[in-house]
Amino acid sequence: MAARYDAIIIGGGHNGLVTAAYLARAGKKVLVLERRHVLGGAAVTEEVFPGFQFSVCSYVVSLLRPEIIRELDLPRHGLEILPLDGTFTPMPNGDHLWRMNDHARTRREIYRHSPVDAEAYDEYSKAMADMARFVKPILSMVPPDPFGYDVAGMGKLLGMARRFQALPRAAQHNLVQLMTMSAVDLLDQWFETDVLKATMSASGIIGTFQGVRSPGTAYVLLHHYMGEIDGAFRSWGFSRGGTGAISNAIAGAARQAGVEIRTEAKVARIVVKAGQAAGVALESGEEIPAAAVASSVDPHLTFLKLVEPGVLDGDFLTEVRRYKLRGSSGKVNLALDGLPDFTCLPGLGAHLRGAISVSPGVEYMERAYDDAKYGDFSRHPYLDVVIPSLTDPSVAPPGKHVLSCFVQYAPYKLREGTWDEKREAFGDTVVNTLAEYAPNLKGLIIDRQVLTPLDLEREFGLGEGNIFQGELSLEQLFFLRPVPGWARYRTPVKSLYMCGSATHPGGGIMGAPGRLSALEMLKDWKRRVLR
Amino acid sequence: MKRVAVIGGGHNALVAAALMAKAGLKPLVLERRDVVGGAAVTEEFHPGFKVSAVAHTAGPLRASLVEELGLEGHGLRMMEPEPRLFAPLPDGRSVRLWGSPERSAGDIHRLSPRDAERYPEFHRTLTGLAGLLGRALSLTPPDVDRPGGGDLLSFAGLGLALRRLPRRDAHGLLRWGPMAVADFAGEWFETDVLRAVVCARGIWGAFAGPWSAGTTANLLLQAAAYGGNGAGSAVMVRGGLGALTQALAEAARALGAEVRTGATVQRIAVRDGRAAGVVLEGGEEIPARAVVSGTDPQRTFLRLLDPALLDPDDLQRFRNYRQQGMASKVNLALSALPAFGAVKGEDPASLLGGRIHIGAGVDDLERAYDDAKYGGISRRPYLDVTIPSLSDPSLAPAGRHVMSIHVQYTPYRLRQGDWRTRRDEVADAALATLEEYAPGLRGLVLARQVLTPLDLEETYGLTGGHPFHGEHSLDQLFATRPLLGWARYRATIPGLYLCGAGTHPGGGVTGGPGANAAREVVKDLR
Repeated sequence: MAARYDAIIIGGGHNGLVTAAYLARAGKKVLVLERRHVLGGAAVTEEVFPGFQFSVCSYVVSLLRPEIIRELDLPRHGLEILPLDGTFTPMPNGDHLWRMNDHARTRREIYRHSPVDAEAYDEYSKAMADMARFVKPILSMVPPDPFGYDVAGMGKLLGMARRFQALPRAAQHNLVQLMTMSAVDLLDQWFETDVLKATMSASGIIGTFQGVRSPGTAYVLLHHYMGEIDGAFRSWGFSRGGTGAISNAIAGAARQAGVEIRTEAKVARIVVKAGQAAGVALESGEEIPAAAVASSVDPHLTFLKLVEPGVLDGDFLTEVRRYKLRGSSGKVNLALDGLPDFTCLPGLGAHLRGAISVSPGVEYMERAYDDAKYGDFSRHPYLDVVIPSLTDPSVAPPGKHVLSCFVQYAPYKLREGTWDEKREAFGDTVVNTLAEYAPNLKGLIIDRQVLTPLDLEREFGLGEGNIFQGELSLEQLFFLRPVPGWARYRTPVKSLYMCGSATHPGGGIMGAPGRLSALEMLKDWKRRVLR
Repeated sequence: MKRVAVIGGGHNALVAAALMAKAGLKPLVLERRDVVGGAAVTEEFHPGFKVSAVAHTAGPLRASLVEELGLEGHGLRMMEPEPRLFAPLPDGRSVRLWGSPERSAGDIHRLSPRDAERYPEFHRTLTGLAGLLGRALSLTPPDVDRPGGGDLLSFAGLGLALRRLPRRDAHGLLRWGPMAVADFAGEWFETDVLRAVVCARGIWGAFAGPWSAGTTANLLLQAAAYGGNGAGSAVMVRGGLGALTQALAEAARALGAEVRTGATVQRIAVRDGRAAGVVLEGGEEIPARAVVSGTDPQRTFLRLLDPALLDPDDLQRFRNYRQQGMASKVNLALSALPAFGAVKGEDPASLLGGRIHIGAGVDDLERAYDDAKYGGISRRPYLDVTIPSLSDPSLAPAGRHVMSIHVQYTPYRLRQGDWRTRRDEVADAALATLEEYAPGLRGLVLARQVLTPLDLEETYGLTGGHPFHGEHSLDQLFATRPLLGWARYRATIPGLYLCGAGTHPGGGVTGGPGANAAREVVKDLR
């Protein structure tokens, strides 16, 4: 028998590592168990082809909480964020839209498409910044339980109501709309340029099984808008060395605080004794006892597979089953011999250093969703493309490049055929779509990796391939995430906790769920619920 | 004399007028058409054939109103047909939903024993939630800026009631509101057609498909109005819905209200910053202590009121208020009762008296929406059909029938062509779809009437052709209906009120908005 740990963390993704680091810094003896040979979960850098380092899944960062960067001193452990310069949207008519990180330059670019929209853009940016400022504190808040007798939580709800009341009417109105409307309905009120609306609405659907016209997507737009690096709103970036470097920095901080990390240690089940989590059993048969277990994997895996049947009551399990994972996206990673040349803006300019968004029109986006609704991948998908080797040459051999395409939609459940049969067809569709705008692309490809939602599940443990461990839809947010009554990181099993993206405030390389969960666990130690 | 000018003679305006008269005010109802009722009217569309021209089922009318206004004494007879709903499939199978959940379950059993087992629980859950939500329907939404003592009490009451619900239902309520109705239906049932029947309640009158988030709220709203029975509800009125609004008008008159038809309000007169009356087309001025508009928010604030009187931000918000129609009505005069393939060896009259749901599966409804999303008419629309002549033979000559078809989706804004030239396509699509279920129907059609969203706007005054005076989407419900800060029936101009479906609790022939608004007007004027 191994030594008894205070806490075992299931899964070595960024959230699991954050939880571990915070617990260890408070003096707890912590063990992290990662199934794969490499840490990071979906925030991982791998040498997929010799010499080519890919941020295999998650590829950009903006939401990582500043308090985590500060408290864990991540820059000292190697974290370095390089700015991603704007979003470039090629258009089929030979024009393009290039939004930069600089408001004035973006405004001039929008003006070229529509003077009215340029003016609206000023107001819109201000309104969104106000909204983000209002919503931001919620990201650092443990959701209150409206059903329990949680006085402090009720106080928080009341406080939020007061803050809402204190807002000017225009801001109140915007907030109501943001929380309920579709991204396109919202944007329609501000802008007239189709490509501008399309490319902006794209951030409302990333990682959801919704179209740009589906109500609720305006919130996801805000979720992405809230991204901040060093406190500056709305700037996305690459991590030097890929997103895996973020996980490694967190792991470094965790190790320094005394966390023990084991890779290739697959948890087979959570050991429950007398209604209380008492440790875990590995697939190898090894049992490791612990006072507490925190699972950073999704709730389906945690409660339907890792906890033995009979431990949890039927109502809770029903709610867990209803929790929607529903992956909707895939990833195509290309090793390139050179840089793609876009017909609408030839040359190797700065537009290649930002995100390249294939979102030429609102209808294009919506039709991409229609295909997925009926169980197939989009024939003309939305793509979010980055070429990190331009900003961080260390990730590719000299003169070569890595290009990664985030692809939507790719439904986990296909109506016809299997992903194993359709993987290459899917990869071809993605390459063809991008090549429509950059015809030289096909000749540059040295190698390609196609990740379907099924691959995201198999390789990275993301249930149904959902990159956020569950849809960011209103009924799965805040005190309803992942299931009503269990949004406070605790579970019906005593001393079993959740600390992944399936808990508030959700997915993205944010770390907030991991941190909040650790803080709640520490509270339970203080209250002597945990010993 | 406390005269109140009421714009429009639809059911909500009449309810408001009757209640205001009862409280001692002097309402004057001004209806543009020759007949009161708005979208709840019975019209002879072909010699000898009468039909509820637009709305064909009652919302239902809030039960307390029937009693309070003595509507039965004025001839109102509401009927709940059995089965409430009949959902045939082209292959001859069908779902029947009855007043009794057990009986419905018994029928569902033939399609799926598992669903049959779930159905009574579904019914019980929605009935439980309806009890709670029903209370909210009769409340004035709270003042966001200055919640008063009374508001807090009623909402504290609601909060307590929510906490007293079984935990499972309370969780459900919070989760379901923002959800897509297809997900909601999927949580309960496995049979596609039963799911579609549930979904139909969520997309009813909504420019949204079953996979659009927030459509469950629309279903819950209707379940609340019906006191439960979320999928299988139907209330018909003897003599058609016109009989309901006639009874309301009679009641209003009896209580002291004046009702004028053929009186088109051209604008709302505002003096010294207060609503001072209305001006009719032709120039007649009617002074009043207060003006209560039963028309939709866009018509009221963008057409009848001088836009300079509104805050420019509010003006912009009313322009953005979503009020784009999505449904048409097709009314058919039939030479005989149609033969549905799913009616086998049974008396058709015993099955077809309620709502007939045409939409075999969730995908069918979603695809119908897909067409409209891109500005087209659904090629295979979702249909909600009634044959009112079955329960009320006076609506058609002996042996003949009228069929009333709610056709969804037909977008107000067409991408190609316009409604003047494409009207027939709606009836053609509806008939072609129905033929799959009732072969030979086309041969029975003696006459047909098509009311497109444009007709709903031009003839019945529904701006944008929206049957509910605006989408029942989460951002346009309760305290945000029609807009945040405008949900308490009062406009920012003193003396001007809204009492139509564009206010809480929204559309459907319930009289709820009218009753709530009347209460607020009376409070202010007394």
